[in-house]
Amino acid sequence: MLLLGNEAMAHGLVEAGCNVVASYPGTPASEILSSVAQWRARYDLPMHVEWAVNEKVALEIAYAASQAGLRAATAMKQVGLNVASDPFMSAAYLGVKGGFLVISADDPGPHSSQTEQDSRLMAMGAKVPVLDPDSPEQARELVKVGFELSEAFEIPVMLRPTTRVCHANQDILPGPVAPSDRKALFEKNPARWAATPKFRHRLHLELEEKLAKIAAWEPTAPRLLNPAAPARRAIVASGVAAAHAREVLNDLGLRETLPLWQVVQPYPLHGDFVTTVLEQYDEILVLEETTGVMELQLADRYRVKGKRSGFVPEVGELSPELIEGLIASFAGIETPEAPAPAAEGGRRPTLCPGCPHRASFYAIKRAAPKGIFPSDIGCYTLGINLGGVDTVLCMGAAVSQACGFYHAHKIGGEVPDIVATIGDSTFFHAGIPPLIDAVVQDARFVLVILDNATTAMTGNQPTPALGWGAGGVPTATVNMEGLVRACGVKFCKVGRPGNLPAFTDLMKEAVAFARTDGLAVVIARQPCVVDRTFKGDRPPRRKVAISDACNGCRYCTTQFECPALVYDEEEKRVAIDTLICTDCGVCIDVCPRLAIEEVGQ
Amino acid sequence: MSDTITNILLVGVGGQGILLASEVLSETFMQAGYDVKKSEIHGMSQRGGSVVSHVRYGREVHSPIIPEGEGDILFGFEILETYRSLPLMKNGGTVIANDLRIPPPSVLLGQETYPDDLPGKIAAMFPDSLLVDGQKLAAEAGNVRAANTVLLGAVSKRLDIPDECWIKALEKMIPPKALKVNHVAFQLGRSL
Repeated sequence: MLLLGNEAMAHGLVEAGCNVVASYPGTPASEILSSVAQWRARYDLPMHVEWAVNEKVALEIAYAASQAGLRAATAMKQVGLNVASDPFMSAAYLGVKGGFLVISADDPGPHSSQTEQDSRLMAMGAKVPVLDPDSPEQARELVKVGFELSEAFEIPVMLRPTTRVCHANQDILPGPVAPSDRKALFEKNPARWAATPKFRHRLHLELEEKLAKIAAWEPTAPRLLNPAAPARRAIVASGVAAAHAREVLNDLGLRETLPLWQVVQPYPLHGDFVTTVLEQYDEILVLEETTGVMELQLADRYRVKGKRSGFVPEVGELSPELIEGLIASFAGIETPEAPAPAAEGGRRPTLCPGCPHRASFYAIKRAAPKGIFPSDIGCYTLGINLGGVDTVLCMGAAVSQACGFYHAHKIGGEVPDIVATIGDSTFFHAGIPPLIDAVVQDARFVLVILDNATTAMTGNQPTPALGWGAGGVPTATVNMEGLVRACGVKFCKVGRPGNLPAFTDLMKEAVAFARTDGLAVVIARQPCVVDRTFKGDRPPRRKVAISDACNGCRYCTTQFECPALVYDEEEKRVAIDTLICTDCGVCIDVCPRLAIEEVGQ
Repeated sequence: MSDTITNILLVGVGGQGILLASEVLSETFMQAGYDVKKSEIHGMSQRGGSVVSHVRYGREVHSPIIPEGEGDILFGFEILETYRSLPLMKNGGTVIANDLRIPPPSVLLGQETYPDDLPGKIAAMFPDSLLVDGQKLAAEAGNVRAANTVLLGAVSKRLDIPDECWIKALEKMIPPKALKVNHVAFQLGRSL
């Protein structure tokens, strides 16, 4: 069957008898957990599968299950591993009981991420072995190999797919599902599980011993993909770069003469392999994404060509055409002609027609025209098109940056209006500690929680406020207003951005409160337009039409930027694209000439 | 079965149904016994941005993405996106595109104008190109939303894949209640 890489890894988890999987959504890793939840339901497996509140929590929940002897996994995107790095580093020392897999999906490019960071480097920093699949099928296999490795050496194992593995599809024949009959049994051992620094020294020694053995473990040893004649040069590749390289060798007619070694465990690199490669070949080309992790371990700066040596670009994805040029140049054959660059006229993403965030940003701009607008990670980053987003750093930073902007300006005496925006899922993920900080330090700004009742950007996963979890199972809920007030916030009001006049008044009230009294929180509550999981009532529909009062001033298309409002060059006025208009009716209150009229439901 | 890999690019705007179309293609090639790899970028681009899906089939396919300049067939869902993707194609490749304009935000904002005569420019570079009024033919088939299937029918004619593989794939991937209209739409495209 045609499986997405993430689905293939999910199937690998249920084939391996994994009992606990916890994740927080993030492109390109999101479909791993939702697929596990599907398989669990289909096969009625004894599993706990959850969307955790953030990656740190997810990793710790899965890790504890492993401490209790079960197989467990956590899945996240690479910047999610930053959030989870604290338990990740410590768990490497303590080790595991049941197999423990940390799936950290990288995004060379980057296509949908803040950074191109290499999770394999994080694994190296933590001293955790890491597996680097080249395809959905290999990713599924390495899930099972990873559990065996983890249990053989009582160590966490990282599986590091990239976007081109997670979001590639392949015809896969999945293996049989093996429900686990293990029962959780936590064996107390405080000297290990609660080790003090003195014991940690010993654990570090043990970790080094484990790594030395793992660097000789046969199942993950590098493979020669093209048993070639003795050669002076060789390629060492991992991940999807190995798949590209395999085809390039065929295309360039080098399959029989240029050996290609595929490394599935880039750290720790197998000791014998390092020796052999450095002894056997005069020159070695290393192809890997995104940092030179294997290259660092093949330490010979004269003969190893890679990222650190400057031969392979440090930045961006290793595309097949780039690899073709690199291999041709390495092999000393004529470099194929570089393809022409893509044509002009890019298409930037934009908020959907009818998106409640568009109304929120419009109101924020009206309430605080000269404000500073820190924002956060989610669809609403696209508020940048509307001038409603000035900063995006990482999950939760909108709130702490608003604090920082307040304190920094206060020193000089003049504090501008500061209106921060954060999504509901992001607020639960990382927005609460900085909100407490804001209250305690009396930082005066407006925080708008854009509550669209979903984690929209990654495909409409649930939030803790909704009452359902992975696979649609019922859960308890957390009340957002109650949580905000419990943090000590005095001003906490809820509004519906789609009711633009009332919401703009609420925003003005909040901005005035922040100027004189202190922190104000506005919850902008309206469901995501593309969320098919939403079960509540949707706002009333208000069908609109453009009247003859339209003079083509383009205020609506430039200031409100709804894709359903189209400027017609020939007519010199705006028209409604009725195919994509959602009848939200918000634009009625945007037109300064009142030329957008309601024409029924 | 030869060793060559056939590379098909599907390009358009987020929300146009590109992922479903690429799944139908992949399913068809699998029905025909080929190794298939397909990939696309998910995430923010789906919010009205450009979407490109790569579908590759052959006896054995390793890489999930089509190198620039090696596309055999460009399956365009929108005319500007089709034009922008031409550098991904090999010389002499086939372009089959829906003659549909979706203005990008920069055009809606009046910062840029939608380029003129794209069909002519495409035909000048790729003699083997076919522009299809997908919406009109889909309406004839019974539902304007079946435009992608009309295009799929047109693409199917250029590929040496048995009819029954296409039909099986459509039956597997399209919801039963929409199947009849899609059958008609597919045949309309195939007759172009």
